[in-house]
Amino acid sequence: MELEKPDLYRLTPDGRGLILRAGRCGACGDLSFPLTPYGCPLCGAEPAQVREEEMDGQARLLTFLTLHTRLTPALPVPLVVGEAEMANGAIEEIMLDGDESRYSDGMIVRAVPVEISKGDAQVIACRFVPAEG
Amino acid sequence: MKLNEARPVYVVGVGMHPYQFVSDTLYIHMGLTAVRAALADAGIAFPEVESAYVGCTGIGMAAGRIMFNHLGSTGLACTQVENASASGSSAFQMAVHEVALGRRDVVLAVGVDKYGDQVRAVGKEAVNRLSDTAAIPLVKYALMAEYLSKEKGLTAEDLARVASKNHTNASKNRFAQFRKPRTVDQVLAATVVAGTTTSLMCCPRGEGAAAAILCSENAIRRLGITADPIRVTASALQSERPQQGREIPSVTLAQRVTEMAYAEAGITAADLDCVELHDAFAIEEILYTETFGLAPRGEGQHFLRDGGSAIGGQCCVNSSGGLIGQGHPLGPTGLGQVHEIVNQLRGRNGDRQQPDAKIGMAHMIGLGSIAIAHILQKEV
Repeated sequence: MELEKPDLYRLTPDGRGLILRAGRCGACGDLSFPLTPYGCPLCGAEPAQVREEEMDGQARLLTFLTLHTRLTPALPVPLVVGEAEMANGAIEEIMLDGDESRYSDGMIVRAVPVEISKGDAQVIACRFVPAEG
Repeated sequence: MKLNEARPVYVVGVGMHPYQFVSDTLYIHMGLTAVRAALADAGIAFPEVESAYVGCTGIGMAAGRIMFNHLGSTGLACTQVENASASGSSAFQMAVHEVALGRRDVVLAVGVDKYGDQVRAVGKEAVNRLSDTAAIPLVKYALMAEYLSKEKGLTAEDLARVASKNHTNASKNRFAQFRKPRTVDQVLAATVVAGTTTSLMCCPRGEGAAAAILCSENAIRRLGITADPIRVTASALQSERPQQGREIPSVTLAQRVTEMAYAEAGITAADLDCVELHDAFAIEEILYTETFGLAPRGEGQHFLRDGGSAIGGQCCVNSSGGLIGQGHPLGPTGLGQVHEIVNQLRGRNGDRQQPDAKIGMAHMIGLGSIAIAHILQKEV
């Protein structure tokens, strides 16, 4: 089964987790996520100066809520989304698996592969779940 | 060059076509309505206009020239401006600069829009994000409201109070898209969108037009303009930097832009009598009243609860109804703010008049994001 966003993550060797694809800038040393074809978003270095580096899929959940109204046709509701501090210190919006009763502010969450329907196909998407339990 | 180093620029006429839900009304009809109202307000004829900036996002290429065909082909300079929600504000800024620099004496800024195809450049970036909501501003602001509810006791009632105030202001505004006063309970009982944010805490999308005519002192004398001219004393625009800490970059940016505007105008937040700000979502108004310095940090909801932002309060905020009540058709929105502030400073805003208003500020955010602020002053 294909990954939904292979430019963002890869399966861990055991297939139970996800590793995030970040970029390390050879000019300024910044670790940015996601890795893009455009270079370093912090200092503007050329793409050739940025090499791919694996980033831990664990993050600290800062805030979360349930989306109740379908804001785009592709977004199923209810959907739990949150903001998390990623391993590189940046804050990213993430999609959480299940309902919000599983989560609390400050909790460590981790990226896991979750099978979803996309159009007529099944793909492996990235969702975050509590790191423990 | 800053405005305080250039020649004075004045708004001498404003006009609007009401904001409304998507309809069959042609954009040309809406745009011409606003332009003709602004010309009549200024007391000048279209051939006096030397240059025009047209803010729009959803109509297509070359919207202005087609529209101006119907006002007489005067050969004026014509430039279309797209800056997302701030398109009208940016058209206004370019018009201000053109007069300030002495290139033209009479310049029109008009915003006109229909609900377009909503194509965004971010969709062509070819960079995925972990969350499919990452480019949806509503989610970002709803998450901030959630965070602040735990961090500083912001309540759903506070958000509803913003929306209630702005819907009620809009109910007295004949150009507003929403014309019903709403109570806090009605706002809370509306459809829940995300977290504690309900549909009545969010701006509607729609269509409409707004226009302003800017003049130099020379033109005011030469054309015998007698309408109360309102001076533009600051015009600032910046784009966001990466997020530091929990504050949303557009909120940090709003502070930076307003500080630039205050410095250019030589004022402080305490001098402001009326503000029109980007309240696409109710939480924004609370955050911006803090970042603008109208309320101490962390006390925006108290400023609101105590009536500081009400008409007749310390500084009325969104007396037009704001984006939540007056509406947010994108291209015209920033010029609709100018329309409201000019009427406030001229003392002709009817039952939405802020007493003795002398200085006002218009603030918009454009997707991406950029922030833009203009300060307008009544000369005494």
